[in-house]
Parts: sequence; C-alpha cells; structure tokens
Amino acid sequence: MKISLDWIREYVPVDLPLQELLDRLTMIGLVVESIEERDGDTVLDVETYANRPDTLGHLGIAREIGAMLGRPLSERPWPIFELPQETSAVASVEIRDAALCPRYCGLVVRGLTVGPSPGWLRRRLEAVGLRPINNVVDVSNYVLFATAQPIHAFDLAKIGGSEIVVRRAQRGERLTDLDGRDLELGSNMLVIADESKPVALAGVIGGQASGVSESTRDVFIESAHFDPVSVRLTAKTLGLSTDASYRFERGTDVSFPPEAALMAASLLTQMGGQATRGVIDVYPKPRKAKSLRLRQHRIGELLGVEIPESFVGQVLGSLGFRAETSSKGVWTVDVPTFRVDIDREADLIEEIARFYGYDRIPSEFTPAKSFDLATDRRQERLEKIRRTLLGQGFDEVINWSFADPDKEKVMASGRPPVAIRNPISVRASVLRTTLVTGLLENAAWNLNRGLEGVHIFETGSIYFWEGDKTREQCRLGLLTTGLLAGSVWQGRGEETDFYVLKGALESLLSDLRYEPQSFEEVDHPMFEPGRALTLLYKGQPVACFGKIRGAVAATASLDRPVFAAEVDLTGLFEKAPRPFQYQPVPKFPAVHRDLSFLVARDVTYQEVKKALDKLAPPLLEGFELRDRFGGPTVPPDKVSLSIRFRFRHAKRTLTAEEVDQVEQKIIGHLRSALNIQMREAKIDIRA
Amino acid sequence: MLKDRIEGLRKDFEERALKVGDVKALEDLRNLFFSRKKGLVTGLFEEMKSFPAAEKREAGKLLNRLKVDLQTRLVELEKSVPQRTKGAAGGAAARSKISGKAQVISPEDPDLDDLTLPGRRRYTGAPHPLVLFSQEIESVFRGMGFTVEDGPDIETDHYNFGALNFPPHHPARDAWDTLYINDDLLLRTHTSPVQIRVMEKRKPPIRIIIPGRVFRHETPDPTHLPMFYQVEGLVVDEGITFAHLKGTLEFFLRALFGEKVKARFRPSFFPFTEPSAEVDIECIVCGGRDAACRVCGGSGWKEILGAGMVDPQVFKNVNIDPERYSGWAFGLGIERTAMFAFGINEMRHFYENDLRFIRQFHRK
Repeated sequence: MKISLDWIREYVPVDLPLQELLDRLTMIGLVVESIEERDGDTVLDVETYANRPDTLGHLGIAREIGAMLGRPLSERPWPIFELPQETSAVASVEIRDAALCPRYCGLVVRGLTVGPSPGWLRRRLEAVGLRPINNVVDVSNYVLFATAQPIHAFDLAKIGGSEIVVRRAQRGERLTDLDGRDLELGSNMLVIADESKPVALAGVIGGQASGVSESTRDVFIESAHFDPVSVRLTAKTLGLSTDASYRFERGTDVSFPPEAALMAASLLTQMGGQATRGVIDVYPKPRKAKSLRLRQHRIGELLGVEIPESFVGQVLGSLGFRAETSSKGVWTVDVPTFRVDIDREADLIEEIARFYGYDRIPSEFTPAKSFDLATDRRQERLEKIRRTLLGQGFDEVINWSFADPDKEKVMASGRPPVAIRNPISVRASVLRTTLVTGLLENAAWNLNRGLEGVHIFETGSIYFWEGDKTREQCRLGLLTTGLLAGSVWQGRGEETDFYVLKGALESLLSDLRYEPQSFEEVDHPMFEPGRALTLLYKGQPVACFGKIRGAVAATASLDRPVFAAEVDLTGLFEKAPRPFQYQPVPKFPAVHRDLSFLVARDVTYQEVKKALDKLAPPLLEGFELRDRFGGPTVPPDKVSLSIRFRFRHAKRTLTAEEVDQVEQKIIGHLRSALNIQMREAKIDIRA
Repeated sequence: MLKDRIEGLRKDFEERALKVGDVKALEDLRNLFFSRKKGLVTGLFEEMKSFPAAEKREAGKLLNRLKVDLQTRLVELEKSVPQRTKGAAGGAAARSKISGKAQVISPEDPDLDDLTLPGRRRYTGAPHPLVLFSQEIESVFRGMGFTVEDGPDIETDHYNFGALNFPPHHPARDAWDTLYINDDLLLRTHTSPVQIRVMEKRKPPIRIIIPGRVFRHETPDPTHLPMFYQVEGLVVDEGITFAHLKGTLEFFLRALFGEKVKARFRPSFFPFTEPSAEVDIECIVCGGRDAACRVCGGSGWKEILGAGMVDPQVFKNVNIDPERYSGWAFGLGIERTAMFAFGINEMRHFYENDLRFIRQFHRK
C-alpha cells in the first residue's frame, strides 16, 4: 500500500526525521518496504496485513501514526453545494439480498462536466501510483485511497428507470465490465442492476455501459457495504482482483458509506456539480458496535509485564476505541466498526502491546515444572541409520516430494500415485511413490559433472492412495554406482557392486538389532531379472534392492551399472528389534579353522548358511565366508567356498581333538544335506 | 645359490655380533648389512629385482625372513650393549631406530621410502546441509526439554487452516498459497497442523519442536521453492507469557548465530497467534553498514522467524481452556535461515543434490 506523507499530513502532523519514522512504524507493525521521493513528497510502500483492511487507506495509516505520536486526527471539512431536490426523488435503491449487501448508500451529482481533475487531486493519485483519468473516476479513487471505502460512480442516464436493485445475478445474465471483458455471471454473484439488467458486479467492478463517459452529466454515487466472502468468491471465480474487491473481501467499515458518499459529492460539487439533497441509506439491520471486556490483570498475565491503566486507556482512545473502567480493573471497550479484526480480549491486548513496544517487554526464560521424556524411537533410529550410512561413505541427499507421472510409470512401484490438482508443472504433478527416481537423477547429475562414483542415500516420505485414503511411508533410498570413494593412488579405484549395497543394508539393520535377516529373489520392474532381492525381517519384506534395469536407468540417461535399494522404514520401525543385551567378553581363546568346500553352482550360500544355522553344533561360535571362486582349478559345475569357523568353550581352552570332532560333524552334515565335498586340507589357526 | 649366500650372510652376521661391545659397534654392524646404498642385505634385495618372475617370489620370502631375523637380533643387541649416558643413549637409540627403519627397503612396503606421499583417507559421507541445520536447531530446543514431533505432509483443510483460525475464504489464506489434492486434502503449507494434532491428543504442559516439509504453490526462483523445510515450536502451560517467548527465542538465536547477535521483535499478523510477532536479527553480513547489502537490503535487519502467543480460538478448537492455559509458538524456514547462516544465495542448491555442494558440509 503506497502512502504519501503529504496526504497523511492532512490528518496528522508528521515532523519526525524519516529514519526515525520508519523505525517507529516498524515497531508498531507497519513495515515500509520501499521509499520514493516525489516532487517534495515522500511516498512509502507499507506492508499491510490481511486482517487490517482499515490500513488500506491514508486515514487508517494516519490513525496509527497519530496513536504512535500521541496526536489527535484532524478531519478536513467536506462542504457540499446542494440542490433543493431530494435524492430519493431522482433515484431509488432496493436491496434484495441483505445478507450479501447489508448497507447501500447513494446520492446524485448533476450538471457535471467530465474533464481533467484539478492539479492537487492529480498529484495525490500519481503519488500512490494511479493514473488520473477524469474528475469523476479520480474522485472515486481519491475517496478509496483516502478512506479505504470503495465507491462507484454510474452515469445516471444509463441506469434504466433510475432504479438501483442489489440482487443476485440470474442464470445466463452477462455483464461487459469497464475493461471490456464479457463476464458470465453465476447465481451466487451479487450484482447492481437497474430495472432490467446488471450494471455492475457488486464490490468488484462496474459495467461498461453504465460507466462515466465524456458525455455524462449526472452521476449516481454508490457507497456500499458488501459481504466479504461473497465478493471474494465472485472475484476468484472470475479471476478478477480490483482495488475495490481487495478491500471489500477483507472487510470495510459498515458505518462509513454515508460519509464516503458525501465526501465524493463534496469533491464533485467543488468541480462544478450539484448534489441532490440527502444520502439514500438502505441499512435494513443496523449493526451494533462490538463491546468487549478487558481485564487489566490479563494484560500482565499474557505479556509478562505490568502496563499502567493510564497507558491502556490512552492507547485505546487514540485508536478510536471507547474504553471505560466499569468496575475495578475491568475495562469495557467499544470497538469502532472500522476495526474488523478486533473480536476478543486478546486482540485488544495485542493493540496495547504494539504501542507499548515489544522491545520494552522483558525477556525471560520459559519456566517448566516437568519435562517430557522422548518416547518416540523413530527419530533415534533414523539418526542411527544416517550415522551408519555416512560412516560407510554414502552422501546424503534430499529430493522433491513431487514426481513426473511418466517416470513414475516406468518405475512401476505398484502404488497408485497421489495427483496434485493445481501443480506447478506437469513434470511435478504427482507425489513420489518411490525414492529411487530422485536418486537416479542425482547420480546422473553428479556423473555428468565429473564424479567417477556416486553413493547416496535419502530418508523421506513416499505417498500413495490406499483405497480412498492417502498413505505416507517413511523410506530409505540407497544408490551406488561407479568407483568407491577414497584415495586411490596405490592402485586403481575399486568399483562398487551389488554386495556393497547389500553390506550397507545388512549392517544398518544389524546396528538397529533387526536380526536375523533373510533374503529372497524377487521380480520387480525396477530391477534386472535375477539381480534383485527382497530383504525380510521376521518373515516380512522390509526392503527391495538390486541392479537397476537398463530401461529404468535410461530415464535418467544413465548407462552404467547402478545398484539401488529402498527400505520401508515405517514398516520396519513398527516391528520390535532384538533387545540390546551385553555379552561378556570371552575369557578363553577361540580356535579358527578355515575349510574349503566344493559346492554345486545351484546351491546358494544362503542354503549353506541355513544348513549350518540349523546344525548349530556345540562349541561353534560363528562362521564367515572368506573366499568364493570358480575357474580352472574347480570343476565347471561347482564353486569353491572357503569358510572360517570359530570354535570356543566358555569355561576352558579347547583341545584340537574337541575341535576335530565338531569339524567332522559340520563336514558330514554339509555332505548329507547339500552334497558338499571338502576341497583341500584344513588349515589350523590358533588365535 | 641364493640360499647359500643367505646362509653365509647369517653366519657372518652372528660372528660379528659376538664382537659388538658398544653402541658405535652396533651401529656399524647395522650399517654393514642394512645401509641404504651399500648394505649387504640391501644389495641382495637390489639383485633380486633382476630375477625372473618365477624365482622372485621364492627369493622374496627367503630374503624377507633373513631381514626380519637379523633386525630382531639387532633389537636384542641394542638392549644388551652398555649405554653411554642415559639421556644421550635414549636419543641415539631413538635415532637409530628411525634411521634403521628408513633404510629398510621392503617389497611389501614399497612406499615407505617417501613418507611425504599423501595419507590414505577413508571417505565418510557428507550430511545434507538441511538435515544438519535442522538438527542444530532441534538440539538447542532438546536441551531446553522440548521433544520432537511430526505429522503427515498431506493434510486436511481443517488441520492446515480451519483449526488454526483461518476462516473459510479469508484473504489471510492468500499468503499460504496452497497445492491441493482435492476439495479437502492438500499439501500442508506449514508445520502448524502438527500443533493441533498434538494438542488434540495431549494435555498441557506441552513443549515440542516440529521439523518437516511444507509446500506452497510457488514457482522456483533463487529465494522461493514449492517445497521447503520448516521448524516449528510450541509451548503450552499455565502462566506462559510473551516475555517467555522473547527470552527463549533470543536464547535460541544466540545459540544459532552467536552470543553477540541482536534480535528485534516487531508486531505482525498470523491467524493462529495473538499477539503475533516477527523476529529480525541484525544482519550478520553487513551489520547494517551496507546500504546495498544483498542479504538485508540495507535495512540492517534480517527477518528470521514468525512467532506469537497461541490464539485463544486455537485453544478452543482443541478443547484447551484459554483462561487457564497460555502458550507461545514460533516457526522458521530452514532453507532461508541456512542461506543466511552459510552465505548461500540460491535456494535451489539445496535440491540439486550436487555433491560438490553437499560435501562442503562435511566441515560444518
């Protein structure tokens, strides 16, 4: 809202240095966004709030400045040259929908010559960024920018029957507005009509046919109060926003229309017109001014500082409230109708705080009688996952929740995407159903900028429809491609692979004590056939990972092997992990035995592992895969698996014979269960 | 052959070792076998380089064993020879150890002859700056007894607007330009709906912090995005005042921006707080001295967060008695604040996921 300081000075003397004025305005909540010097005038662009339509005119800003400086407002007189003729003899007004138009005022100015406005008026309008048009239009604009009350001038000769009817539009009615747009009106839109047709869209814009032109001699001045919601819906439906609709939809002062009509008439009569006698004022249900109770002690209770009663009375008075202490410590406050934002005691306390100064309210620490324990373990677990992955060299990324519906189709997550009704762009018109799309794009972006490897993760929501409800799931996405990070001067860098990804998943789940995990092969459109697994915990799938299918990687223009995973953290976190239990550090040494087996190629490591887990012989503490190879030294239908077994007794040192016995059991079991043969002699290592 | 020569060297070494009586003699012995240019063992390693590949392996094993054995003996001898004086001997021993080691050329440690080679760094991943910054903020509040809460990104009109005292069709909604799913569902425009969800299910006292994604119908530009992160705080208890809001947020801003930072509270408007405030801090870039400052526009102040006392209507909407309880709330945009804190001038960087950008935050 542009504010001319010269114009403000018509209401209240302002003589502060500019910077001090700006600082003090800021501290009552009026922030000046820019300043313009203009022909000796200073024009301030003031940020206003949606709940303060009274500040959308110079009078309202002047009232704030007056209260700030402790100076009363002076009103300029508005003399009128009146005809003996009564207004009601020249025109009539009928309100047919009092809910949408609680008040309608008007009067007529006759014998006008439409032409340029006087210089002072042109300067006022130019200062606030308006282009002067002619005296009639300029006067309406002047009243609007002075008082925030929009008024409209009709060419009386174009109002059929000189009848003003305020009603809802009828189906099929149209109106060509002042800017020449042909508007199709709906039955919930309020119009100003004459005896037969709409002549204006109430509170939004006038019609072209009834507008003021050079040949206009008599004008009907409308000054009304319209329902804010109705004006807003009409303007929104038609995609219009005018200076008038902007103010009506925020709420104008229901008491002010007669005064604004007289002000316009006064100005027009000073330019040669003559006004009819008396303002037509149709106001079927006059509103009572709001009266609020303000308890002096509540001010201190809410603000944390005692503010003297004398100050409270003075501030409220200078803002136009009538405040009286009816009983001790309790104010009765009558709220002026231009303050549509004041409904409760708290609203009054804010007014007092604003003018007392937020900077004078002390700073205290928020006291607490007790603290809550954080009972939600999700945050903790998420943080642990992040730590594990950062430690393994994965960089963290964050992608948009928005996704491209075409790419979503390629990913075929199987989850129906949630579409946005009014998206920013088509390529961001649904919400993501997988994190992998974003990760693929991140990989491409970074590889295109010279990185030799990308290893990234993201934790975040995916979204989808489940029946008629939307669902959100917290997921972890992981991607690895290219060279692993780290110094490489001692040789060539190491290329990532499927097992880097699998290892990361295993270790982050183990760190959270989600053990044991198992894996199943899975067919998924995102992954190459036979190159993807589902990870299960307690028999439930919690993650899917593998080598990304070429066609999928191609959506991000990636042409090298990419491995990715997605973990359903919401699902995982609903399951209880193994409780943490301390294990005493063993007192006696372990015996390690490395055994190499020849295993048929169609027997998986998981089967070997399961067989060993099932056998679980005494003294066997654990085992791990050390090597796996095929090639010339191994029969073509077999691979060699080298497994290191760890044996230990809790209470004493093991003898070689004891270990031999268990070892034979293991070898025998693997032979009978999976037809696995020993490859070569065992090597005994004492740890 | 090589084997014989090695055995010869062993014998030679032992004979000479018997005669070593002082530090000087020990040093001579070490040099004879291991000096970098003329040492007998060193020489053999040199020779080995020209062996055919098939023999090299075996030769390496033998030579290494010799080297290890002789060096073990040198260490033993060092202990047995009389030391000159305590201080000097210590120094000599230390020196000889270092120089002795440097003279050994081992095929397993080919790089130890140039210790100025770069260290081998293990790479650990870099945190995303938004997560990092959000955690910094959370930890300040955790320290003051706040717990972390979250809520869904897809919200109903009721939680996002209605319950927060936005009347239907009020222009106040214009400042929260919304992405809609349908007539009722939308992408939350702020984290404030979580205030409502928490107050619905919990009785005061409440002390929570709510980080999360929020969405606006905005075309991306250097300072606006259709999705960004917010963090929101809420305190509800008996006797909570605006003074508490000020003191706590001032502490928070000092924790985030440094002890000397100056904060300014000024009146503003939010439908869900009354009184409402906006909080600026003194521009940490120009300190208010640069009229053309890119960050504060010359005003000397940078808007950091919105805050206020919880509106009594919001309390009524969740069945908390505003006569008994009061509270304060605040919210801030994480990207905007991180940009200010780190001197980043382009908001879109946060979502490009360029690792050259993200990896800088390793050092934060």
